[in-house]
Amino acid sequence: MIRAFTHGIAAAVTLLSAPALMAQDFTVNLVNEPSTLDPHQQWNPDSYYVYRNIFDNIVTRDNAGKIIPQIATDWKQVSDTEMVLTIRDDVVFHDGEPLTAEDVAFSIQRITNPEFGSPQLGQFNQIIGAEPTGEYEVTLTTKGAYPVLLAQLVKLSVVPKHVVEAVGNEAFNAAPVGSGPFTFEGWKRGVDVTLSRNENYWGDTGPFETVSFVAVPDASTRVANLSAGTADLIVSIDSDFARQLETQSGIQVLTAPTERVAFMGMNTIRAPFDDPEVRKAATMAIDREGIVQGILAGGETVVHQMATPSHYGYVADAAAIPYDPEEAKRIVAETGAGNTPMQFATSPVYDQRIVQAIQQMLTEAGFDVEISMTDMSTYLQAARAPEQSERPYLSFGRWSCACQDVDGVQFPLLHSSSSWSRVNDADLDSLLEKGRTALDDETRMEAYSNVQQIVHDNAYILPLYQAVALYGASENLEWTPTANESLFLNRMNWSE
Amino acid sequence: MSVFLLQRLGQALVAIFGVMTLVFFIQRLTGDPTYLLVPETATQADIDALRRSLGLDQPLVVQYVNYLWDMLRLDFGTSYVQNVAVTEIIMSRLPYTLQLTGGALLVAFVIGLPVGLAMAIWRRYRATNLLMGVVLGAQSMPTFWSGILMIMVFGVWLRWLPPSGSGSFSHLIMPSIALGLLSMATYARIARSSILDEMSKDYIRSARARGVTTGRLVGKHLIRNSLIPVISISALEISQLLAGAVIVETVFAWPGLGQLTVQSVQARDFVVVQGIVLLGAFVTISVNLVADILYSVVDPRIRKGGRA
Repeated sequence: MIRAFTHGIAAAVTLLSAPALMAQDFTVNLVNEPSTLDPHQQWNPDSYYVYRNIFDNIVTRDNAGKIIPQIATDWKQVSDTEMVLTIRDDVVFHDGEPLTAEDVAFSIQRITNPEFGSPQLGQFNQIIGAEPTGEYEVTLTTKGAYPVLLAQLVKLSVVPKHVVEAVGNEAFNAAPVGSGPFTFEGWKRGVDVTLSRNENYWGDTGPFETVSFVAVPDASTRVANLSAGTADLIVSIDSDFARQLETQSGIQVLTAPTERVAFMGMNTIRAPFDDPEVRKAATMAIDREGIVQGILAGGETVVHQMATPSHYGYVADAAAIPYDPEEAKRIVAETGAGNTPMQFATSPVYDQRIVQAIQQMLTEAGFDVEISMTDMSTYLQAARAPEQSERPYLSFGRWSCACQDVDGVQFPLLHSSSSWSRVNDADLDSLLEKGRTALDDETRMEAYSNVQQIVHDNAYILPLYQAVALYGASENLEWTPTANESLFLNRMNWSE
Repeated sequence: MSVFLLQRLGQALVAIFGVMTLVFFIQRLTGDPTYLLVPETATQADIDALRRSLGLDQPLVVQYVNYLWDMLRLDFGTSYVQNVAVTEIIMSRLPYTLQLTGGALLVAFVIGLPVGLAMAIWRRYRATNLLMGVVLGAQSMPTFWSGILMIMVFGVWLRWLPPSGSGSFSHLIMPSIALGLLSMATYARIARSSILDEMSKDYIRSARARGVTTGRLVGKHLIRNSLIPVISISALEISQLLAGAVIVETVFAWPGLGQLTVQSVQARDFVVVQGIVLLGAFVTISVNLVADILYSVVDPRIRKGGRA
């Protein structure tokens, strides 16, 4: 709830340089409470919406998506496998202790330690060493040349070594101490997490004095809270709620294109999808504009590559296979691809409206597709089956690497060594490897341009659309939500 | 007497052991939770590492024995997702569930009982049947609908009550009504038949013959005597209310065990789900045990083996 304090004349005189509105209490409605507030543990939006305000990351992205300094002011690639970070010398943790190179090295060692068992390990497992090499200098070592390193460090939060070692992981998670713009105040299990502004922060702290993150599982209740004024910002609403909110006075809907790419995966090892013509037919059969405009209608845009404009490696003028249901029908009839019954593997987590629309479009083109709905665990076991040929014929997914680099999308989905991939193409593999290991931009961009060409020519996967995140907010909030789905409170403004 | 007690106690222990075993194996049937706990970008090596750190790489028998041993020591484990002791998570939610159940019982009682009474006393009037219709209608409304309706009317339009959340008495009102509506009709029906039953008894007739007024008759004799079945049905209703609370708690963002169950199932936090199920089983089994013992105290035929 916002309680804007109207200042008396006395206050105005004493605070000449301060903005007219000072003390503010800001309430955010999340879906669930954070799973953990230890930033090295759980990686889900409800958790990082909160802990990214308590902790600083090594580097960050500005609102336009450019990587800019945060804890590290400078970074130098000193060899193919070594990067030297220069650390700010004026950062202080919430307990008053200074943040040093020791803390940065400790944080990297902690999250990459397999014994610690961080679910985020996969994002950082290319890092094999982190040592302080000066009071404010840390040297990172990677397995091989790794151009995505900096993009991954955007998500690596720095924790205080002395606190974690003194209190242990469990107590640290219950009462986290960071260096970020907000200090942890309290966590009422199942109810809310409250933060207060860190007045000693080295950077901007934003307009809010205290902030509470409240768990409200039901979307209609979040919308009601916003309408009633008991919430100032709500997350995770669909396009129907967005349209409903747009008509209300005092409320705005904020839309952010994310780095999530939705796609239809085909098993290119199994007949009939081992035939490129059949895959092209399946691609032509899907009305992507129809899905985006008719079903989702939240501002999503169709993409023709496994990337969004917010990714490094996005190809500006990628070729597209057009929607052509008649041609699709012709190819299916000609090749007899409709004679093989195929399962469309899915689980309730995925948007079933899209799954059903795709199945219907494929059926109209002459394919024999049946939706096979299982629980998530069973689905994942099939999708990641040890043998490529055992992975599902068809599936629908929305992929994000949270790194805004195509390597994080294309390598796991298309490289033959990945447990998700249903593609086996030696040329494609070597291009993806080149993109993953080349340090120079030109080589990387060229590799990804060629990847896009091969994927297009062979119709290995069908990119569908770039997903959006919809937020409902009070009209007074000034905020630009970004592609990486973060809620940085210190980048928000409030005006009445 | 003590033999009977031991027998019943033994049965209760067997039942709890059965529930524990069932919970353990059913959760394993739903697959390996590690796949659900890692992000999409995790490699097979990461998955294996996590599986090791959770002890899921051990053979099923070893896991089962470890699990039983932990249960014996009353160690209910640590949440996979939150890294917090399950007992701590459950205990932080339990007070909210008790408040809501209490509130709902009160609503059901305060509305259901007078309705039942009215229907019994004025059973010859058509209007009273209408009353039952209204009560049944209220019970039949799905909570996710009636709850949202209440939030819209009292929370958003009239702004009399906070639309959701917890922290004060006013937060408790709407969820209690939404949940209480479910049991209200049951109370009304039980109260009605129980009062009708009492009304046909001799002592009522003699009281009337003595010239006791209707008001005094109802207040002093009828209600008191017909409350017994109403109270015994409450035990059943409490478990009903706990089950219904899942939806009410989700709609009203009420941080009780029902909401926790939904969240834990969605997050595949099996250790927490297991803890909640065990708590439920424990409550149900102990209530039954106590009831059995009480019956045997009241009725000697039961403790002699039930061959009356």
